[in-house]
Amino acid sequence: MTATMGDPAAGAGPVEPWDGERGPAQKPEEPSLSAGEWLGRNLFSSPVNSLLTVVFSLLVLLAVRGLLNFTFSEERTWRAVKTNMRFLFTHAYPQDQYARIWVCVGAIAVLSGLSVGLLARAGRGISMKKLSMNLMATGGVIALGIVLREPSAIVDDEGVALHRDASAAGGDSFVGWLDANAFAVLVVLVLANVALAVWFHLQGTYLRGGPEPRTAHGALVLVSVGVLIVQQYATGEVVRESFADAMSDRAWWWLAAALLAGAGAALWLGLGDARRRNTFVPAMYVFFVGAGVMVLSAWVYPWGHYGFLEGEFINEPGRTVAMTTKLPWTVMLVLLVATFELGRVLRAAGAGPKLRVPLNLLWVLTPFVLYWAVLRDPDLDWDHVLSTDLPMAVFFAAFGGLVVWFLAHPRIGEAGRVIAVVLVAVAALNWVAAYFGWYPMLQKARISFLLLAVVALLAHNFAGDRAQRMKLVAVWVATMAVFHWLVTLVNSPSTVDTPTDALIGGFGITLIVAVFTLLLAFPMGVLLALARTSKLPIFRVLSTAYIEVFRGVPLITVLFFFTLIFNLFLPDNMTLVDIAGATIGFSLFSAAYLAENVRGGLQAVRRGQYEASDAVGFTTVQRTLFIVLPQALRVSIPPLVGQVIATFKETSLLAIVGIFDFLRIADKVISAQSEFLGVKREGLLFVSFIYWIFAYNMSKHSQRLEKRLGVGER
Amino acid sequence: MSVSDATTALTEELAARDDMIVCEGVNKWFGDFQALDGITAVIKEREVVVVLGPSGSGKSTWIRCINRLEAHQEGRIVIDGVELTNDLRNIEKIRSEVGMVFQQFNLFPHLTVLDNIMLAPIWVRKKPKGEAEELARSLLERVGIPEQAEKYPGQLSGGQQQRVAIARALAMEPRIMLFDEPTSALDPEMIKEVLDVMKELATSGMTMMVVTHEMGFAREVADRVIFMEDGQIVETGTPEHFFTNPQEERTKLFLSQIL
Ligand SMILES: Nc1ncnc2c1ncn2[C@@H]1O[C@H](COP(=O)(O)OP(=O)(O)OP(=O)(O)O)[C@@H](O)[C@H]1O
Ligand SMILES: [Mg+2]
Repeated sequence: MTATMGDPAAGAGPVEPWDGERGPAQKPEEPSLSAGEWLGRNLFSSPVNSLLTVVFSLLVLLAVRGLLNFTFSEERTWRAVKTNMRFLFTHAYPQDQYARIWVCVGAIAVLSGLSVGLLARAGRGISMKKLSMNLMATGGVIALGIVLREPSAIVDDEGVALHRDASAAGGDSFVGWLDANAFAVLVVLVLANVALAVWFHLQGTYLRGGPEPRTAHGALVLVSVGVLIVQQYATGEVVRESFADAMSDRAWWWLAAALLAGAGAALWLGLGDARRRNTFVPAMYVFFVGAGVMVLSAWVYPWGHYGFLEGEFINEPGRTVAMTTKLPWTVMLVLLVATFELGRVLRAAGAGPKLRVPLNLLWVLTPFVLYWAVLRDPDLDWDHVLSTDLPMAVFFAAFGGLVVWFLAHPRIGEAGRVIAVVLVAVAALNWVAAYFGWYPMLQKARISFLLLAVVALLAHNFAGDRAQRMKLVAVWVATMAVFHWLVTLVNSPSTVDTPTDALIGGFGITLIVAVFTLLLAFPMGVLLALARTSKLPIFRVLSTAYIEVFRGVPLITVLFFFTLIFNLFLPDNMTLVDIAGATIGFSLFSAAYLAENVRGGLQAVRRGQYEASDAVGFTTVQRTLFIVLPQALRVSIPPLVGQVIATFKETSLLAIVGIFDFLRIADKVISAQSEFLGVKREGLLFVSFIYWIFAYNMSKHSQRLEKRLGVGER
Repeated sequence: MSVSDATTALTEELAARDDMIVCEGVNKWFGDFQALDGITAVIKEREVVVVLGPSGSGKSTWIRCINRLEAHQEGRIVIDGVELTNDLRNIEKIRSEVGMVFQQFNLFPHLTVLDNIMLAPIWVRKKPKGEAEELARSLLERVGIPEQAEKYPGQLSGGQQQRVAIARALAMEPRIMLFDEPTSALDPEMIKEVLDVMKELATSGMTMMVVTHEMGFAREVADRVIFMEDGQIVETGTPEHFFTNPQEERTKLFLSQIL
């Protein structure tokens, strides 16, 4: 941690205003505001502002109180969620193969750690000032939540709340009166705020920014909060704890609040103002500490709840989900931390720019490898691999490599065009032959030929000296290796035995479908957008028709088509499993929307950029790849991320076409278990929460990306 | 030697040089509007030609036809012996020999200054990266801003951006440079730094065709001035002849308005 402390120059970044001949000027430090000053300036700066603050904080508090009371009510069966963690995340993936899941999580941890450590221009990270303020605020919010919550009901041995006679409820104590008249009391308090606002306004205090308005309003808000809390201690039909019992029952929460706020306060007091501002930790460290505390705590205390293992509920104390997964989680965390540090070391060594492209490629490749090689546990037919798959891969790598070497010669000229055309013709004929069943050939040979033809057409755009041509050949050989390997894996049966054809369910399938959808839809969307803005009418018409059709049809119809109807059109020996059909449906649908977003970006690229690219002699392909697309994609980041988030959430429609996705398990599977019959709301709340965490992080990430790429700065 | 003798000698010397740009009866229409009307002109190697004319007279259209940013419809344009036709190969060849500098700079905003300059030599000229970078740095030196190599265009002043644009065009090692009002978008104090670079370029023997309103530059640097109006070439001559003794009424009117 100390490595980055007190290093203000490290994050200065490349974007400085042009400073001509002047030396770099020092930005004057803003004086820091005290909490009171901040409140005065931002929340109570004028009568209207004060009233908005008062009314909205009351509304927020009411909503939070409702949510807390719902979440912590004795009527909630959170056991249903805790017990079904495995179901929620992987559904029926076999227990004895579970190590494969951890390998996948580990691979993602390694890539994430490396990427964040290496590439994320994290700037200076979080300043100690912000960190300590956030810690104190979190502690404060938890404390507020603890007192805001209603007292818990007293339950009998079966967990049913004790009731008392309706006639005995209520009573005419002060608390009972407050409960009965809470609404009127709050209205009076708000009116008092209005009166105060008017009075201070007439005094002119708001303009002078004196402390009186914020103190007076603040006091009234505190009284209102008091009403919201005290009201809940009125005696009702349900027998509830006393205030003292409620608070001592929540001792663990108090401890957490105190620890967080205490840590924040210690940081705040331990460092002077200057050091608070100028000391930074990478944001990831904060995450590591949080995750570390959670993982380590499982080694100390068996928190959580027993799980659903090997098809039955394990009801032994000490075999909670947290306990049975603490080892793998620890490994994951260690991997994440280690690769993050490795990434930082590499970055410090200046390897960042060089590793950027390989790392991004790895991200693209990883889902394929994880799904087909790890999760599916392919049952390879080695005779076939050695007799057919391997020779074919070697042939295409060698033959294609030669073609690429030859076509990427700077002075290839006419011969290059002729060869490319011949290859395109051969590739096309292969497909015609396939259609009529003339010439038996493995499908992957046809695809390889097609790839080769495309590469041949494009080769002269990437021509160069020997080193450059070697690089192209290497890229081709690597592509062939990966492609043939993956096709072999896809064609091999799985040895993992699951009751559904989806292999895995729950959040696992949600993620897998979302990731594969985006991997397919992104290139399609970009191509569609380019086609729609192309000069050639045929491309324009086709792409426009495609986009308009898919935007005009409900997603659910597309999904039904590809899971139910599409199989009828396939030859007898072919079927599209539901999960593949759904992924194709999602991809085709998202591609249409992504295309429109990219088109918006393309329109934002100025004409001068095209002219300048033409004037330096770029071909259309080079112009598109190097100049137009990078700029267009940058501009369309916000809508693109919006579309990514939408696609991620839309995968919940998988439930409707019969796949056991995250939502369906919460909605249908758990509530059908004999132990949790009809228990739905908890699962749904949990599922929404997880969806939200992911969507929120994507959105946050896109904001950082936007900033980094300087969208809208030009 | 009298003035006319000197002119004759110069003309003879010019005649002996290679033709770089030949336009013969070039016509161009935008819809029904004729933007170029029978343009016929020859520009020789190492010649610096300044094109003048009122707004809308077709100066930009002409200069853009020369590297096929616009296509002419009638007549012939021959660049360094290669005729501009619809044949893509000719267009690519000509574009890589003709550098162009725009009024609005048109630098690539997502690339650093260095990458702006290196990209075309690497991908069009197929130069190895190291060589391209060396070239780019020496060109930045030549236009006087070697220290800005790692910055992005948005971080530079207008004059610096235009000098980067010139370096970017020069990186293709063109035989001809076209300038379309290179200083019109610049604040007065930045105009000089760009004109200085252009003068240096002219002195080094580059064939240049410059559309500009900088009369000082035309007087000092141009070998020849071409005056256009309504898509036609109205008058051609040496700067001396052009500014002191114009023949055509329209030329006189134009000069009286701007001088
Ligand atoms: N893409 C176009 N479509 C239609 N008309 C055009 C187009 N480009 C230019 N024109 C017209 O052609 C004429 C010549 O334009 P051009 O830009 O060549 O003038 P210019 O001499 O460069 O003027 P300026 O000094 O204002 O730059 C103008 O009347 C203009 O309106
Ligand atoms: Mg113009």
